[in-house]
Amino acid sequence: MHRDDPGDRDEAVTTKRYLRAAVVAASVIGLGVSIYLTFVHFSAAQLVCSASGTIDCERVLGSGYGVIAGTAVPTSAAGLAWFLIAGALALLRNRRAQVAWSVAGLLTVVYLVFVEIVQLGAICIWCTVAHAMVVVIFLLTVTVRDGDA
Amino acid sequence: MSKKKKLSRQQPAKGHHPHRSGPQTPHARRPMRKPVSRTPAWVAPVSVVGGLAVIVVAFLAIRYMTTPTVPPASRATTAQVISTITSLQASELEQVGEGSATKVLKKTSDQLLTSSDGKPLVFYFGAEYCPYCAAERWPLIIALSRFGTFTGLSTTTSSSTDVYPNTPTFTFHGATYTSSYITFQAVESTDRNGNALQNPSSAQQALVTKYDKADTIPFLDLGNKVVLLTPSYMPDLLAGKTWSDIATALTNPQSSESQAILGSANQLTAAICLLTSNQPSSVCTATIQAIETKL
Repeated sequence: MHRDDPGDRDEAVTTKRYLRAAVVAASVIGLGVSIYLTFVHFSAAQLVCSASGTIDCERVLGSGYGVIAGTAVPTSAAGLAWFLIAGALALLRNRRAQVAWSVAGLLTVVYLVFVEIVQLGAICIWCTVAHAMVVVIFLLTVTVRDGDA
Repeated sequence: MSKKKKLSRQQPAKGHHPHRSGPQTPHARRPMRKPVSRTPAWVAPVSVVGGLAVIVVAFLAIRYMTTPTVPPASRATTAQVISTITSLQASELEQVGEGSATKVLKKTSDQLLTSSDGKPLVFYFGAEYCPYCAAERWPLIIALSRFGTFTGLSTTTSSSTDVYPNTPTFTFHGATYTSSYITFQAVESTDRNGNALQNPSSAQQALVTKYDKADTIPFLDLGNKVVLLTPSYMPDLLAGKTWSDIATALTNPQSSESQAILGSANQLTAAICLLTSNQPSSVCTATIQAIETKL
């Protein structure tokens, strides 16, 4: 079938719709994790996570990197805002802003993984779930190309 | 020249589309370029994931290469260090008080646990690989040395592959402790490489099961009256330092090592004084008894 055929176009539109739904779903998961970590930070509730060995959420979240530099705002609150905006951009179908936002998210994730591995020598499993969602959103965003629909 | 032009009009050059030279009919399709194959959709995601994997591996390599390692202590150094930390001035310990140590000791309302000789039993359960155990052994040795004498203590470091790698410490494996006030039992379950060393007895395992429900180490049971489930300070305080560096720092009450380690040792001393009815009085001083009331 030729690319310009209506059937082909419909298929591309459907694919794009699924990808957009997947971005929203990943944003919701990331939002959930961020809300949980922010809640734990402010309520001093017990975090459900290993506290010894390489997986050590307490070590990561309790470090100086657990808050935005110079503030008392937890890093998870920034994640919360990021996922909220990523989901909104997907719903608004603003692809250019989506790509820019997901690139910014990906670069931040690379920095945070650097902090976890090199600076702290510990991994926060909740943070890793949020990081994975950022990568998924980035991949889905770059997969939807302008010519696909 | 003109001959060539004529030829080109009649016989299109090789590679030209025949439609261009033939007559145009109303039903003729628009001329099309040969479709160019697009990059498959999976290439971009796979490239990104591959790139991220390379970055993570690079970070792990940086971590591995920059992790401070501690040169092993000689027998003479070990003896010197143990001598220093087990004979610290009482006035210095008094001066530090609780220092910067986190309050991690938890009181229970259970009956006093004694050993077969009737003395209160202090039970430690840990492992040589464990960095938190490595940190906690320093104050524990200092506190216990105020009530008795260790022999056979040797230096070691925590695992090189776990968090807070190569934390300098001692091992209770192969050490003995004698005291006229308390009995001390220690189990180091594995060496620093994770190989099995000692198994707790059924009675010791029962204590772990009863009080250490999260199954974390270090675990310390002070006569079933006070338990410790988490370290009183973080092992990164000792990162990159030698045993001698730490022992020297412990002779200065203002050092961060003294504030954490001696502060924790005083808390442990207070917990032991609780078991011994504040005996000996030279150890269970007013300062220690004040800490005891806050446990």
